[in-house]
Amino acid sequence: MNNLLQFVIRYSAFLLFLLLEVVALLLVVRYNENQKSIFVHSSSKLSGNLYKLADDAIQYNHLQQTADSLAVQNAQLKQKIFNLERSLQRLAPADKPLDSCLLEPYNIIDAQVISNSINQRNNHFTIDRGWKDGIRKGMGVISPHGIAGIIDQVGEQYSTAISVLNTAARISAAIKRNEYFGSLIWREIDPGHMILEDIPRQADIIVGDTIVTSGFSFIFPKGIFIGTVDRFWTVGGSNYYTLEVRLHEDIGRLDRVYVVEFTDTELTTE
Amino acid sequence: MNTTTLKQTIRAILILLLQVLVLKRIGVGNSWLWQYGDIFLYPVIVLLLPFRISRHYAILIGFVIGLIIDMFYDTIGVHAFALTATAYARGLLLAYLEPRGGYQLSMSPTIISMGLNWVLTFTVFSLLIHTLLYFTAEIFTFVYIGQILLKTLVTLILSMLVLMGYHLLFNPKA
Repeated sequence: MNNLLQFVIRYSAFLLFLLLEVVALLLVVRYNENQKSIFVHSSSKLSGNLYKLADDAIQYNHLQQTADSLAVQNAQLKQKIFNLERSLQRLAPADKPLDSCLLEPYNIIDAQVISNSINQRNNHFTIDRGWKDGIRKGMGVISPHGIAGIIDQVGEQYSTAISVLNTAARISAAIKRNEYFGSLIWREIDPGHMILEDIPRQADIIVGDTIVTSGFSFIFPKGIFIGTVDRFWTVGGSNYYTLEVRLHEDIGRLDRVYVVEFTDTELTTE
Repeated sequence: MNTTTLKQTIRAILILLLQVLVLKRIGVGNSWLWQYGDIFLYPVIVLLLPFRISRHYAILIGFVIGLIIDMFYDTIGVHAFALTATAYARGLLLAYLEPRGGYQLSMSPTIISMGLNWVLTFTVFSLLIHTLLYFTAEIFTFVYIGQILLKTLVTLILSMLVLMGYHLLFNPKA
């Protein structure tokens, strides 16, 4: 017993070191396994407020630029809405008012990215909206030029999202021209490209083909432009193509984003 | 809390802010270099602890600061793992690099007390351990050993430049 005690005292620094390393590794493993953080996360108030503060200061320099790009987006959206309403009017039965034919399954919440990363293995970004604003875990985040990520941790005023540049992200995507679909994943290092897997070999693919969201999950609406095919190949005797997709959105420069809430209860309860 | 400790605490907070608000952002951009590397200045908090700080305290401080950084980087446990090891290595390195006369216990390992060469050696070995363990824990498999080594090398060089820049620019006394 005495010997043991002496051993502990003698190597106490080393034992403390081992203990803390084991704790740290447990955190890493647990986090890697199920993408659940425990208590330290940037959706917390402390880090969220700090990031918000810094982002506000930086934002100030880009106000004009941001306003311009938002105006352009607005114009595009207006055009799309007018065209869609006009097409709907032609399609809708004449005896019903147009309003009753409109479905409103999607709810869009605007948000600002206040912290972002692209050079890690599992990238995240933080937005300035939390459960107070209706953000819930699992909602999709889209950006002006594509998709950005999926909400992961939700705090009161801030939330973090798994970036599309995260090895845990898996997004259902399709080739726009022929609607063959597969899952879009990220293979690290290159923040400009993602990999679209499991496209059947009978699909005809051209370099430059447009890749959009497939709409098979409720996370992202159908048809959001993701990027274009840079090259494609098959591995060994596989029956599936692997496509390298050049992302249209520059994830490193995410700024204004939109969180998509799917509220069609009929569908989601199925 | 005496004035030196207070000063060092404030310095630690400022370095943490610099790390998470400025240096983290530099990694976000278009340049290919940043895809492989990060800039870690925050290990300097542990490296600048005075000689009299015991191994135990250094290890604990390393763990806590690592967790704080993890909170901002969304890398739960990874920075904590690396910095705890760096803090432990600090004890071993200090013993290994001890000059013949021993250390002046009230001092810190700075250029003023130990000279540029000593600080350079101490820093480069500590940072090597830190970055290597960081990327090992982040990637969490030795399958990607090439990627680990590449990221370690790029990050080590970038961090060394910033860390030695900090030493030369501010020339901290304690």
